[in-house]
Amino acid sequence: MSESCKIQVERRGDVAIFQTDGYINNQGGEEIARQAYAQLDGGARALILNLEKTRIVNSIGISILIEVLEKVMDRKGVLAFCALTPTIDKTFRIMGLAQYAAIYPTQDEALQAVASGG
Amino acid sequence: MSSASSTSSRPLASFWKELHAASRGGEDRPLPARLAEAALQWSGARAATIHLRDKDGWSGGGQSGDGAAGLVAPDPFPEAAGFVGDALWIPLSAEGEVHGQLGLLGVPAREAEEVAAFLGFVLGAQVAAHRLSRQVKGAEFEIRTRLLELESLYDLGLSLGGQLDLGALADEVLFRSVSLTDAGKGTLVLFDDGGRILYENNLGGGFVPRDRFASWRIPDGEAVINNSAASLPTAGERLSGCEKCLAVSIAVPGRRLGFLAVADKESRDGSVLDFTPTDARLLSLFANQAAAAIETARLHQDAIEKERIERELELAAAIQREILPRFLPAIAGVDLAAANIPARHIGGDYYDVFPLSNGRVAFLVADVSGKGVPAALLVSTVHAAVHLQIDEAKTIADLVSRLDRHLRRFAATRKFLTLFFGLLEPDTGVLRYVSAGHNPALLMRVNGEREQLDSTGVPVGMLPNSSWREEVRDLRPGDLLCVYSDGLTEAVDTADAEFGLERLGADLSSRRELPLRQICDEVLGEVAAFARGMPQYDDQTILLVRRT
Repeated sequence: MSESCKIQVERRGDVAIFQTDGYINNQGGEEIARQAYAQLDGGARALILNLEKTRIVNSIGISILIEVLEKVMDRKGVLAFCALTPTIDKTFRIMGLAQYAAIYPTQDEALQAVASGG
Repeated sequence: MSSASSTSSRPLASFWKELHAASRGGEDRPLPARLAEAALQWSGARAATIHLRDKDGWSGGGQSGDGAAGLVAPDPFPEAAGFVGDALWIPLSAEGEVHGQLGLLGVPAREAEEVAAFLGFVLGAQVAAHRLSRQVKGAEFEIRTRLLELESLYDLGLSLGGQLDLGALADEVLFRSVSLTDAGKGTLVLFDDGGRILYENNLGGGFVPRDRFASWRIPDGEAVINNSAASLPTAGERLSGCEKCLAVSIAVPGRRLGFLAVADKESRDGSVLDFTPTDARLLSLFANQAAAAIETARLHQDAIEKERIERELELAAAIQREILPRFLPAIAGVDLAAANIPARHIGGDYYDVFPLSNGRVAFLVADVSGKGVPAALLVSTVHAAVHLQIDEAKTIADLVSRLDRHLRRFAATRKFLTLFFGLLEPDTGVLRYVSAGHNPALLMRVNGEREQLDSTGVPVGMLPNSSWREEVRDLRPGDLLCVYSDGLTEAVDTADAEFGLERLGADLSSRRELPLRQICDEVLGEVAAFARGMPQYDDQTILLVRRT
């Protein structure tokens, strides 16, 4: 795993897909937030965060993801996560992220769900 | 530019609308900006700003109006509503507590009391609700974080208990430790019994010098906190590359397994926070769980290795069983009996008997070097080579030389065997033999005399260009020859004394006239009684030949 979090963003219509690689901590979370807000400002309606290459998230990273989620909800958008490790999946559920953001096993399933308004 | 309005002309409808929108959460603007906008519209001031109290003091305010930049917050804020310069500052209070400060520019002094009373009350309630909401969210986040810690400890116990892959288990321990302490860096190092590094992983960049891994002795028990790690040593070791450190040893009673260290606790504003006793307790709990799990995984690896060896030994035993003759041939003029007791760690004994033309009989006892499957395979090679060459060889010495060449050509390097090979003509009693480094065979004469048939050359496959001398003896009817492997005479008792050649000779001597099968069984019984249950590490083989 990378020491710092790297993020790649791919835009498909009004859906922005984020591929994270590395530790989602303060630095990683800030970078996700910066790019997420840029995508929202650029007209993205749905954000999908693919965490396949992330094995560790700390509470600072989670608090930033919650801020992103609140911003997305303010704009009546959708945020979804996919490809989480079992540990991160459980972490997100305990920390309340899963209450307002859907979690999907794969990116394809996430894409299909947000495309159909999920 | 707006000018202040009388109460009756103030735009209450738009004020409530803005307030309502602010309470629901604005799309783009944060709450203070929306409240400032509402205050501006209602009061008719030309600029407004709001500062909110947070746990560390006052947070930056939301602003509205052209001159808002000129509204510099006084220090300290006035305790009651009043002018500071041109600005009217109004405490936003609820339940006897000030939750925010509203600053307005352009409010006439005559309207100040009315504006302050209304906005102080209404916006005070609003910011109090907002602040309470944030506190509830923060408290909920804290509770969820504590729950996550507990769940993680629970999960770790479960997953570690079922995780027998040492590398995956160690990764899990490191990732969870770094995550739950909000550390920026983490290092986990595990050692084997010899102090060699068994596992090492650094997350976020190493901060413990690698050449200090082995010598870094963190006291067992609670984790060590060093919030001045950049300048002071941690458990006697100066760490490079971190500001603050929290480290714990991973140990089980009597044994150090490794250490776990995390460094540089993160904060939302990017500063590095001190590690707390709560962090230390959490890491200690993790280390304790990890130690138990890592020990389990290590024991599991040991068990797998033992199981592999057991399988190998079973395979070797099966090979050996297939090669040893199930029945000995009946040959006129000679009695034969043999027995083999494989040891737990198979040494590779082999015996065989070959009826030859003209009533002759050949027999051999061999003991190959090494143990387990390699030894069993060498036995298999010897077995095949003897069966292939026995009809071609001119003499026994020639046969042994052919076997030697065969082994040098086909067997793995540095493999050899001791061998006694005999050829008896029952009609005449002529015994020819070669002993290639084998234990002396015992010839028990019918008249009670005993003769040792010593080695006539080096072990087969040991030295290049070796040759073997063929010896001849005459066997009279009733003479008994005993060929055996060293597992018999070197069987040990509880005091580590060997059974020895003398005991074997005496046992044979006293039983010389018994049936051979009975002699075999009784001699092996004597050896077992001598050993008194001590496990034996070499095969025991005995082959008896008596001319009738």
